[in-house]
Amino acid sequence: MTASILTVSYLSAGILFILSLGGLSSQESARRGAIFGLLGITIAVGATVFSEFVTSYRVMAVAMVGGVVLGSLMAHKVKMTAMPEMVALLNGFGGMAAVLVCMAFYQEAVGMLTKTEITIRNIEAILGVVIGGVTFSGSLVAFAKLRGLIGSRPMTLPGRHILNLSLICVAIWVGASFLNSLTVVDGMESLLVLLFIAFILGTHLVLAIGGADMPVVISMLNSYSGWAAAATGFMLGNDILIIVGALVGSSGTILTYIMCRAMNRSFLNVFLGGFGGEGNKIKHSGQKSNQEVVATSANEVAQLLKEAKKVIIVPGFGMAVAQAQHLVNELCQNLQKSGVDVRFAIHPVAGRMPGHMNVLLAEAKVSYDIVFAMDDINDDFANSDVALVIGANDTVNPGAQDDPQSVIYGMPVLEVWKAKATVVLKRSMATGYSGMENPLFSKQNSKLLFGDAKDSMEKIVSALK
Amino acid sequence: MKIAVPKEIYPGEKRVAATPESVKTLKKLGFTVMVERNAGEAASFGDGQYIANGAVVVETADSLWRDADIVLKVRAPYLDPVSKVNEVDLLPENSYIIGLLNPAQNPELLDDIQNKKATALSMDAVPRITRAQKLDVLSSMANIAGYRAVIEAASHFGRLFTGQMTAAGQMPPAKILLIGAGVAGLSIIGVASGMGAVVRVFDTRPEVKEQVESLGGKFLELDFKEDGSSEGGYAKVMSKAFIKAEMELFAAQAKEVDIIITTALIPGKKAPLLITTQMVESMKQGSVIVDMAAENGGNCALTQPNKVAVVHGVSIIGYTDLPSRMASQSSLLYATNLAHLLTELCPGRDGKLVVDVEDDLIRPIVAVYEGELAWPPPKPKVAAIAPVKPVADKKLESPIVDNKKESERDKNKRIAWITVLGGLGLFAIGSPAPESFLSHLMVFVLSCFVGYQVIWNVTPALHTPLMSLINAISGMIVVGALLLVSGPTASPVTILAGLAVFVATINIAGGFLVTQRMLRMFNR
Repeated sequence: MTASILTVSYLSAGILFILSLGGLSSQESARRGAIFGLLGITIAVGATVFSEFVTSYRVMAVAMVGGVVLGSLMAHKVKMTAMPEMVALLNGFGGMAAVLVCMAFYQEAVGMLTKTEITIRNIEAILGVVIGGVTFSGSLVAFAKLRGLIGSRPMTLPGRHILNLSLICVAIWVGASFLNSLTVVDGMESLLVLLFIAFILGTHLVLAIGGADMPVVISMLNSYSGWAAAATGFMLGNDILIIVGALVGSSGTILTYIMCRAMNRSFLNVFLGGFGGEGNKIKHSGQKSNQEVVATSANEVAQLLKEAKKVIIVPGFGMAVAQAQHLVNELCQNLQKSGVDVRFAIHPVAGRMPGHMNVLLAEAKVSYDIVFAMDDINDDFANSDVALVIGANDTVNPGAQDDPQSVIYGMPVLEVWKAKATVVLKRSMATGYSGMENPLFSKQNSKLLFGDAKDSMEKIVSALK
Repeated sequence: MKIAVPKEIYPGEKRVAATPESVKTLKKLGFTVMVERNAGEAASFGDGQYIANGAVVVETADSLWRDADIVLKVRAPYLDPVSKVNEVDLLPENSYIIGLLNPAQNPELLDDIQNKKATALSMDAVPRITRAQKLDVLSSMANIAGYRAVIEAASHFGRLFTGQMTAAGQMPPAKILLIGAGVAGLSIIGVASGMGAVVRVFDTRPEVKEQVESLGGKFLELDFKEDGSSEGGYAKVMSKAFIKAEMELFAAQAKEVDIIITTALIPGKKAPLLITTQMVESMKQGSVIVDMAAENGGNCALTQPNKVAVVHGVSIIGYTDLPSRMASQSSLLYATNLAHLLTELCPGRDGKLVVDVEDDLIRPIVAVYEGELAWPPPKPKVAAIAPVKPVADKKLESPIVDNKKESERDKNKRIAWITVLGGLGLFAIGSPAPESFLSHLMVFVLSCFVGYQVIWNVTPALHTPLMSLINAISGMIVVGALLLVSGPTASPVTILAGLAVFVATINIAGGFLVTQRMLRMFNR
């Protein structure tokens, strides 16, 4: 196969990728979009495999078969509640692949290049290795946090900003010596040191970020894996890699931006320690909750739901933890059968990654046209009879709107308290991730149903029958 | 301990202090519950229902009171003028009595209770703090009373509330003036506007404006600034000038509206006179006034308590027993409030009552404590409803909107700067860089823009599949690795590239499959 055919296949792959992402604009076209993506990658990989540049198939065949088997297994086994972990892991693999390709390519002697071209190539190598390394180690830490292998509370070392800064300084210094290295062996040494620094940086960066900020972290690592791919593309002079890297990178960046906006925080604020940081903990730990709340029973909730005309269900991370989504669907179906208008309201940062709740509800076969994003449904709470909050806390905190003292003041929240009655399913009176007390619970029209979300849902569903 | 629930003997009182439902709660707390025969009959709760939920039905009031440790009442103990039975005489020594005792107006009753060495808890003295909301009997009764007031007004009003256009002619909607937007007032707004009436509302406390409007009422304002809220969330007495301005407003409104409902009460004082005889005379024939302050002297000059007076063709309703006219519902609420109180007073869930006079929630309710007068309680420290600070309103908007408020001019300025700096930056990169790099840079920048446009169109519901699809696509890096994998098997380049192929393939396979799996689940 000639070089021009290879280029044409890359071109068509690029177009297919763009169409693929465009397909995700609606649920109807989404599956077609995914097929476009698969088609694009098949064309690109096929063209490369059969191009004149590939002459030996042994190593490749083993690696590819292994990768496909492992990847399929993961995709098949993963639980929908564990999707954030899976995405974190795949982000990491993306970063790792970039690191490996950069290193391999660096060792491959490439024809005649001018001095400027070599410098540019080496800078690209540094970018690929450092970004890829940060992505890989950061993703592994994020994975461990999501899995619960390590605590989800932010772990901060004293003087961590200085630590990060000095790491970056060291990296620049090592990078400079790498640019000046004369032999490939010297260069590899410097690259490995750089990779090591990137690992520490990535680990440290993500360790300092708490559980509820995970949507931001995952989106960000997603974008890093893209930028790393783009750097690799520059180094290899491969346009399709640059296109893919740019698409992935901008996608992750936009998601990060959306998540930050949904928490009314700047990107920097998330990383330099926002809520869950030391300051807030001290402020709130000594204070015993003196909120007075009205507890209710599953029977009462069932009664309330049965008598309602319009119900809005607000799922949060608690629903995912308790794996209660199937029962939520059962409840929804029961209510619909008796003529109740049931809808779902999803806060952008509900769960541990963007769109997490939508996937869980879809898994439980909740029809997607009754699932609404926050901006589309927030005005309707006032016309609803019951707002049923399942395991959400900070995303329904009225303090974000009316208490300037609150650390989450200004964050857009779901206005569940405007419904005629609000029922909150909660494990205990503990505060949410932000450590803020939630004035919602002591509002006059709020009732709390304590207990594991799944047990509570089971009781409500059976009381409805 | 034994709880006794007597039948109310006050004339016309249909409510009862415990319902079959609340008996269940009381039993769970470990109490024994005795109910007088037919105690719940007027509120539509039969003895059978009480028995089914574990209560004992006692034949006579005498034996019921005699055995009681705790007596749950609705009205304060009453001296029946016919049978000469005085309930307070029946109260056993060292017992507890809980009800709407109205201690401010009933000093003799407190004396009698002291003589009995008993403890009296008055439900009408529940403090207006957040913690006490579940005990707030006045609010639950006022809510019902408001509802009933609208129903009474409607039944004495000769026209419809809702406006309609029919073949037989046009019916204008009823216009209602409501004075006082407390709990009863808010309930009135909700019910009356639900029935289609136009509701205008006046209240001396500016902070209720938002609540009034949220229920569909129109808030009338004076050109006069004075805040009528006092500690504890109730209204206070206003200045002379304010009252004058207010009366002018009422006089003007009286000529226009069809129905006036007044709910103005100031705690511990006679109700303010708001509707004068002249105002009543100026109203249209067939109009209705509901005076919900009739029991405390009335807001209208012509109100006769417990009667409907018709003066100048205007029906003036002075019922003082509005909650009792909805006995079933109001008993349910009252009994639930009592059950909450007893839950609060029985921390051990062992059927033993513990009255903690140190508790902010409990202290104001205690009128007599073990034979000692405890009335009046010390003043509450916290204001119940935070007064509206005009500054706060502005702040509410700011954190979210501020960024968008950036003026067009500033925006243009900013864009100009970005363009200039971007151009300079490109020039700085472009002049030393080789041609090959720049062509790649062009591809990169344009792809970023394409990505930006495409990704913003992705529906938020599909953000998770988007991320996994992106993972799969980023597996394209395999192409770079494939170009390097053909060397000798043992060389470091081949090993690194082989690993890269492996890892990237996991991304491709895993990413696509899991995306497909997720997307298949999204169904209508």
